[in-house]
Amino acid sequence: MAMINSEPEVTREYFLNLGPQHPSTHGVLRVLLKLDGEYIVEADPIIGYGHRGHEKMAENRTYKQFMPNPSRVDYLSGFIYNHGYVLAVEKLMGLEVPERAKYIRVICSELNRISSHLLWFGTFLMDLGAFTPFLYCFDDREVILDLLDSITGSRLTYCYCRIGGVAKDIDDQFIEGTLSFIKRLRSRWTDYHNLVTKNVIFIHRVKNIGLITKDIALKYGVTGPNLRGCGVPYDIRKAEPYEIYDELDFEIPVGEKGDIWDRYMVRLNEMEQSCRIIEQAIKKLPRGPIKASGVPVKIAPPKGEVYFPFESARGEAAFYIVSDGTEYPYRIRIRVPSFSNLQALIEVLPGTLVADTIAILGSIDIVVPEIDR
Amino acid sequence: MPLDSLKNSIEKKCPEAKVAESDHSKTGWYLDVAIPAEKIVDVTETMFDEMYYLEAITGLDFKDGFQVLYHFNKFKTKERIVVRITTEKGKKVPTISSVYSAALWHEREVHDFFGIEFEGSPDMRPLLMPEDADFHPLLKEFGKVNAYLRMDEIYGDDK
Repeated sequence: MAMINSEPEVTREYFLNLGPQHPSTHGVLRVLLKLDGEYIVEADPIIGYGHRGHEKMAENRTYKQFMPNPSRVDYLSGFIYNHGYVLAVEKLMGLEVPERAKYIRVICSELNRISSHLLWFGTFLMDLGAFTPFLYCFDDREVILDLLDSITGSRLTYCYCRIGGVAKDIDDQFIEGTLSFIKRLRSRWTDYHNLVTKNVIFIHRVKNIGLITKDIALKYGVTGPNLRGCGVPYDIRKAEPYEIYDELDFEIPVGEKGDIWDRYMVRLNEMEQSCRIIEQAIKKLPRGPIKASGVPVKIAPPKGEVYFPFESARGEAAFYIVSDGTEYPYRIRIRVPSFSNLQALIEVLPGTLVADTIAILGSIDIVVPEIDR
Repeated sequence: MPLDSLKNSIEKKCPEAKVAESDHSKTGWYLDVAIPAEKIVDVTETMFDEMYYLEAITGLDFKDGFQVLYHFNKFKTKERIVVRITTEKGKKVPTISSVYSAALWHEREVHDFFGIEFEGSPDMRPLLMPEDADFHPLLKEFGKVNAYLRMDEIYGDDK
């Protein structure tokens, strides 16, 4: 006869590895979860699987040789990083860039921001189990990749900016293509909202879940759409305007509480704002040279240091460069937004369900190789 | 000016602090605060009370010691401040992870790359480096680098 257990059943805490190979971690990320049933007690993100040593590489190559690296730090907003790096070096050298080059860089950066947000939109919803939106936004994103491909020559890891300007001028075909793309994207918003935003299953999975409050953001240095989701209108493009951003009219979309829903809405609205920026920049696009004259062949900035922040698709990224006066940088430190954004999960995840973890992780919009550098 | 009040409260907490104003259009920050390593927690507490967030902790390797840089900023317009400490090689630096939770990962990263120990840190596991790595890759003695200098060769004699 089987023994009858009269003891009351108790739950026991146990560990679960989310990743390193998991479709919703978007790269090689492991989150060690301590669980009580379905609830998370403790979360410990473990990173470093994709560490490539970009900062070390900077120490044994020249400023010019380091040019291809930044766009490989965060491959989804590669243009913005490429852009930020040349801006940092130009600031160190005190180099003035022609107006036309500034406009071209901003147009391409904003196109890249839209493509990054579109990819986030698709993969985030795929994490939640919706496959169709993924096909829609990859269809849209493909146009951006083709547009940028036509002028930069690469689809993802761009190296188009040059110290002192850009590599090649844009043509009418690019401008027409960009304008018609914006028209096409605007006609898509209704589809996106009908397909996703008004979907009741989606609403239930994102409202009031994964709150990143202002206090958490301050403690962890969370920036970008994740910060703006909780109602802080902080955007480097407005706070420390670089290039021509202070001449353009655009808004910073903000949320209210900082839940997944707010972050979702902030990113969707940001894409519309990027469209506005591109339109204005194309309208104002001046004629003239695309490269500063008198840029030395050997780039050797004077001794000194510079911290140059710029708004990537995920938040505040920055290059901190120390120059010793030679054509080799003494040290380049890359501040990446996802590093801080992911760390905040240590505080956000406890108390949520495992299924919500996937939604929260997706909503933070991390790029793991960017964290690992 | 708001920076003046911050300057005063830093100097109150740490009278030895060398506070220099910096040209934002050239360096990207407004105040450059050099303090002794043991005062870093006090100064960081002031920064936290003033609602600054921690942007990054950066290590720098020189022949005559390490420099650790703390970049602080506000969720506002142009408020960046750099706090820098200079430490001898092999010496420990107090952790600021009790003030800023963000510092924990940043300090682990600096420890990975430079081998700088942070005293009192609850977690010093390798972050980006493999668990069995017995080297610190961003030291200038590791691998091929172009230059290995003393601090005064870059900053002049004033720091």
